Amino acid sequence: MHHSKLLARLALATALTGVAGTASAVEISFFRFFGDCQTDYGTVMKAAEANGECGIITALANQFNAENTIGAKVVTQTVDWGAYYDQLTATYSTGNIPDVAVMHSSVLPNFSDRDLLVPLADGFAKVGIDTADFVPAALKNATTNDTLYALPYDLHALLFHVNVDLMAQAGFVNEDGSIKLPTSPEELISMGKEFKEKTGKFYIATESQSSEGMMVRLWESFMWQQGVDVLSADGKEASIATPEGEKAAALIKAIYDEGLANTALDYPGAEQAFLNGEAGILINGTWGVDNYDSQAKSGKAVLKNYAVANVPGIFGAPKVWADSHMWVMPKDEGRTPEETEAALAFIKFLNDNNFQWARTGHLSVRQSVIASPEFAALPHRSDFAATAENATALPVVQNQRGIFSAMTTDLNAMWLTGTEPADALAAMQESVDQILRRNR
Amino acid sequence: MSGGGSPGRRAPGTAFLFLAPFFAIYAVFLVYPLFKGFWISLHDWELAGGYREYIGFLNYQDLWTDKLFWRTIRNTLLFVAMTVPTMTLLALMLALAVHGTGRLKAILRSVFFMSSVFSVTVVTLVWSMVLSADQGLLVPLWNALGIKPVNFLAHPLLAMPSIALATLWWGVGLPMALFLAALGQVPQELYEAAELDHASRWSVLRRITLPSIRHTLLLVVVLQIIGQFQIFGQAQLMTQGGPANRTRTLVQYIYDTGFRDWQVGYASAMAMALFLLMFGFSMLQLWLGRKGDDA
Amino acid sequence: MSTARRTGSARTTDIILLGLTVAFAILWMIPVVWVVTMSLKPNVELMRSTAGFIPWPFTIDNYFNLVKLATVPRWLMHSFIVAVSMTALVLIVSSLAGYAFARLDFPFKRTLFLIMIAGLMVPEQAVFIPLFTMFADWGMHNTHAALVAPRVAVPIGVFLMTQFFRAVPRELEEAAELDHASYFTIFWRIMLPLSVPALTTLGLFTFIFAWNDFLWPLVSATKAEMFTVTVGLASIQGNFAFSEGLGSVMASAVFASLPIVILFLIFQRFIVAGVAMGAGK
Repeated sequence: MHHSKLLARLALATALTGVAGTASAVEISFFRFFGDCQTDYGTVMKAAEANGECGIITALANQFNAENTIGAKVVTQTVDWGAYYDQLTATYSTGNIPDVAVMHSSVLPNFSDRDLLVPLADGFAKVGIDTADFVPAALKNATTNDTLYALPYDLHALLFHVNVDLMAQAGFVNEDGSIKLPTSPEELISMGKEFKEKTGKFYIATESQSSEGMMVRLWESFMWQQGVDVLSADGKEASIATPEGEKAAALIKAIYDEGLANTALDYPGAEQAFLNGEAGILINGTWGVDNYDSQAKSGKAVLKNYAVANVPGIFGAPKVWADSHMWVMPKDEGRTPEETEAALAFIKFLNDNNFQWARTGHLSVRQSVIASPEFAALPHRSDFAATAENATALPVVQNQRGIFSAMTTDLNAMWLTGTEPADALAAMQESVDQILRRNR
Repeated sequence: MSGGGSPGRRAPGTAFLFLAPFFAIYAVFLVYPLFKGFWISLHDWELAGGYREYIGFLNYQDLWTDKLFWRTIRNTLLFVAMTVPTMTLLALMLALAVHGTGRLKAILRSVFFMSSVFSVTVVTLVWSMVLSADQGLLVPLWNALGIKPVNFLAHPLLAMPSIALATLWWGVGLPMALFLAALGQVPQELYEAAELDHASRWSVLRRITLPSIRHTLLLVVVLQIIGQFQIFGQAQLMTQGGPANRTRTLVQYIYDTGFRDWQVGYASAMAMALFLLMFGFSMLQLWLGRKGDDA
Repeated sequence: MSTARRTGSARTTDIILLGLTVAFAILWMIPVVWVVTMSLKPNVELMRSTAGFIPWPFTIDNYFNLVKLATVPRWLMHSFIVAVSMTALVLIVSSLAGYAFARLDFPFKRTLFLIMIAGLMVPEQAVFIPLFTMFADWGMHNTHAALVAPRVAVPIGVFLMTQFFRAVPRELEEAAELDHASYFTIFWRIMLPLSVPALTTLGLFTFIFAWNDFLWPLVSATKAEMFTVTVGLASIQGNFAFSEGLGSVMASAVFASLPIVILFLIFQRFIVAGVAMGAGK
């Protein structure tokens, strides 16, 4: 039935313009970050042959374009991660609203509360996406006000990426081969010092500049470990300048003050330092696993013996910061039924290939994928299986980007400008309160 | 400086035809938006989703108590204070050095002018690389000296001067060109007279050159103040406002508030504050300049 | 006797000053040379070390990959369209208004001039949010017109042209006035040809401004196919830094700058001479 409709349109278009062929493809504009890697993956047609976030998503789009039978064509626009949401927002005014876009679950409420996204439950039912297969937490992330707005695609969390050789050198490898990690703030510092003494390297490498806020994620994790949720569920209050907050911040400051981590590293710098064997632990997300693993195996990096560990419970329960990538359909009055259909087909294709995405290191959100033997066979997955349960996200609250950015600047001030933890937290509390005041 | 007074032919009809294109565009794309911006600033107005609610001067009240706002004002003023005098002085020195005839001087003029043709993205890329503590141009130098490389852009005190340095490199061409133009207009006879008096270089500069180009000097300073107040790209691309907001400028804050946090009303209130600030400074400059003229 | 010695020492000082200037100019160009060098090295080599000014090991691949992408040439085209049309319009509008202010007499002349000058003090950031909403209402974002139109009424341009026209000797027009030529004829036949130096200066400033414009294109051109070079490069830098490597980033910067640098090298004689002849004579 769809086909005949399409044919009729095509015939009409041909009759009217006298131009055949090229106009038949339904274009789906596809908005995402994850980087641009056309040079490496532009011609890779099988997602299974690609590696890393950028490579896999690029190949997935290529594969869909080559294999779909409804004449749909995905046209990707890659946006730099830092400007992504600004650009996506701007499209509602500038007119090129994408048909499919990536969105973090932490950002979703900003869009869904203003009715800027297409509800997807009906569409999913039509194309046959089984929502019951999603991990309940993921389904909850994709839902606001009882309406499903997104296809959850992963759960990503903070991890400790470990250089096993350096750990062994410092005597931090147990007899069974597992890595010995600290279980208290005091132990973290003392182990770090011991590590530094024995290896002469940094205990920890992580993004420490103002851009990514990796330490904010760690700080939030430490807060949950102490049983404190940084933002209240109604999005009205923040618990930042608290005794718990100060304990967590003091530990982070101590890591830098004791010289256990290099303050000069930005995101690529931290990755490079880890791969060059200059640090024992890289604090970064699940998304790095595949990349570091293949680098270590390639023999080109100084890092030879790579392992992954859950972020340990330093202050108690081993809770850890998590977020989720999801696919949404931004609302657009001008979208034709054909385009909607094609976009849904693409979303279904992405869902069908959820396993490919999980190869990056992200945790899958489909129970059927998690239970599959091929998922279990992915490298290191058993090392951080517990992260799926420890993963904790902020409540569904608006303006989390502004909040995150404000916290990043003020927290980073501790090691970049020497601010005391109490002052840094007071500044964070104030900035965040000001943003929350504007939340409705 | 004013348009009145000069003798002209009385032809109102023709004159208004000549002026029409300018003032039509001026009204639509500058005057009207300025008032509309003020109107928006009286609202809780969101970028996406169409939410707007009249709230009077609440946004301005919020501004008054917004610490980050005052911090960005301070940063912006600091940046202006760093760049305007150095830029003016450097432009003047370079203009004096490369003014004159000869192939070498022509090449030198081109060299100093050339960095102005690069786009802000290229300039910030170049300087971020030069100043990087990891892969920077100066890293081999530090290593040779046995010093730990300085991370300029993450250093609380050095980040802003680093941005100012990149700005100098980028922007000195245009003021230098203006000074060159002015130097070309200084009557040659004045210099010849000075030569007969055996005046020293310094006194020629002070007594003849500087007074002759004082109008250009004023123009350069005013243009620089206006230009540097609007700093956005360099800070946005080089430090993203960091470390710890040390380089966050007012325009960046406006952009973040409007386009990241969708608070277009609040952002417009800040934009109005920026306008008032710049207006005040330019007026002060012109007034001081005119006072200098009268004296 | 004293004159001779003074001249001798003055010449020495001249040479020393010139030497210092040359040294400073070399320092000035070092970052550019370094970036070009990096763009000609393989990404893998740059991971090891970025030092040195000799592109060895040498590769042209970084440029090759860029051209294959085909987006950068498109951004260049947009930048050229925007910069050329903005320059042309600014020159037309400014010289017309400048002529009226310099040579004609009409009511409210002083007031209008002050209103015009006051515009100099309105920063674009004070109006870019309302402009953004206006163009959104008109559905005109992601067009060349949106990138050009808000930039055409430039007070400093009118100011410069007014100053220039005012300095043109009256006698040149008087002959034409005796012939009862219209004001437009006088403007077109006599004043404009005379003002080539001033137009060059203004045109150059405008072209560079247009080329470097960042904030407005950043919010108005959100479609990758409509990016100007400046915005496109900003997007590519973040993207490439993660996945492609330093050499590619540097190559994109060099490649995008090449056209305007070449243009500059061709026109530099006119530019510097034009500016030096200046808004006057």
